[in-house]
Amino acid sequence: MNRRARLLLVLIALLLGLPLAIGHSQSQDAPAQQSGVVRLRARVKLNDSAPLRGLARKRFFLIPGSLEQNRALVEAIERQPLVTRDCYYTKNGASPALIAWLKEADCESVYCRDVEQDFVTGPKAVPEFATAFATSEKEFANAATARKWLTTNLSPNLRDGFYRDRKAAIDALLKQAQATSGAAVQSVMTDRNGTAFFTDLIPGTYVVTNLIPTEIGQALATWNCELQIKPDDLASEKPYLIANRKDRLVKCIAIEKPAPACQ
Amino acid sequence: MNTILKASVFICVCLWPTYAAVDYTKFSHSTPKHKAACNTCHKIPTKDWTKGSAFPDITDYPDHDACVSCHRAQFFRGARPPICTVCHVKTSPRDEARYAFRNPATKLQFTIEFPHDRHQDVIALRQTNPWRSKLLAHAPQQNFNNCTICHAQATTATTPPTGGWLDAYAPPAATFKAVPLDHSSCFNCHWKSQEPVAINCNGCHKLATTPYTTATVPVRISLKFMHDGGGEKKQHVAECTTCHINITKSATLRTLKPDVPITSCTECHNKDGLRQDLNTELAALDKNRAFTCVYCHTSNVGKLDAPASHYLIAQRPPLKRSAIK
Repeated sequence: MNRRARLLLVLIALLLGLPLAIGHSQSQDAPAQQSGVVRLRARVKLNDSAPLRGLARKRFFLIPGSLEQNRALVEAIERQPLVTRDCYYTKNGASPALIAWLKEADCESVYCRDVEQDFVTGPKAVPEFATAFATSEKEFANAATARKWLTTNLSPNLRDGFYRDRKAAIDALLKQAQATSGAAVQSVMTDRNGTAFFTDLIPGTYVVTNLIPTEIGQALATWNCELQIKPDDLASEKPYLIANRKDRLVKCIAIEKPAPACQ
Repeated sequence: MNTILKASVFICVCLWPTYAAVDYTKFSHSTPKHKAACNTCHKIPTKDWTKGSAFPDITDYPDHDACVSCHRAQFFRGARPPICTVCHVKTSPRDEARYAFRNPATKLQFTIEFPHDRHQDVIALRQTNPWRSKLLAHAPQQNFNNCTICHAQATTATTPPTGGWLDAYAPPAATFKAVPLDHSSCFNCHWKSQEPVAINCNGCHKLATTPYTTATVPVRISLKFMHDGGGEKKQHVAECTTCHINITKSATLRTLKPDVPITSCTECHNKDGLRQDLNTELAALDKNRAFTCVYCHTSNVGKLDAPASHYLIAQRPPLKRSAIK
């Protein structure tokens, strides 16, 4: 066998063996590294005399770096235009009945709960739901499916426009945060008690923020606070209480602004 | 040069059966010519979807046209063309019966993309309002959308694995949550205007590197935990994210793990004046290093070293079995 032939066979062997080698290298687990957990508890008061209560289903972010290192980001968070849920839906032509339906269960979007039959037909019907239901009934030839699927015949702005606007604002801020810190930003949503966990944290300084303001009564609350993870914190969960009022264990207090009037 | 030729012929002869013998009884979406746009073959919804479904869906295999355009020769090969068996139960011009769509006996060829984080955001409330219940005590109970849209409580017990259940512990139906098995909980929002829409199959389904089957039994560390359990008061029934702490940041199903910390359990199961289930088992382990923890675990897990997290929550230094005398 001459040299060229040997070379050819080696090349073939390499080509056949390469996927195996890649598969093997990917299956190797990285050595476990000890990391920390922050138990975030978000509590809010409607007024000074009310008790602190859990802030449910709100998204919070953990950005690597100190407040000073993230100064430009924090300024951008504070500068962003504030649009309340009611203003958004009013501006986009939602009927008073739809706004009332959202308010009734404190929903941000039509996806937050079932649209019951009462709101589709009859005296309590929401005009947008009634129209979408009529279209869906023709399309799906089935009243039950038409009601369950009626959001597919709602206008995009009323369906999920509020979510998309807020997501666009969050994405822009996240891009800025990641460019500043050069690291991934963690995000979690609180459960119904206002608790959430940031996991796999390495020692360092972080900023806890909600990026876009949270509506609390007639105010908009923004949290931007520094959090330290020390090597000693790695062995257990580190509790971190945030609120919109001062309290004994509160580590981070929101800056509240009155909700702006609708334009 | 002659040797190169011989080597090439040798390789071709060895590999030829792999490429030459096409098995027409199996359909692969990985075949280059099968990678066209999905709606080239699959019409959404299927023409007669109302016959087999309560909602518009893909309920059947593509029509013959989808195959014949390329496979005319295979369609008319012999009395029982093998290609027919991809869809048809019997190979006969007088029997139209087809397998269920999709055929549960065949391996899955596509993975599913599902960003839990985004869906959690979309259905999020402005607030699960603690004041509302006080101010509007008369208000009717609202059915808020949450994880149960897709993960309802399983109603039937899981089929035992091959070889039976470990320790003969058969988890009751209340153990596991269900997962979506059809498009009903997807298309109700993603039918035609909310991307990825129904005709954009690739928005959710990605061709897997190799066909696969899913595990028949969910992988569990604590097999004895029941989602629908917690005594008579069903105290395990909570909001899913209370225990599954990483779900709300999960943008993909890849590498998704249940991630329930021990603290979710010990809030009740290792509390003074309530229960001491963890302490009891750690104390038994102190006395006998061969002790198997059985309150939450089957023996495959219960005979391992208790993790450091268990000792820390019990306010004790972590210990290996080998260090117990």
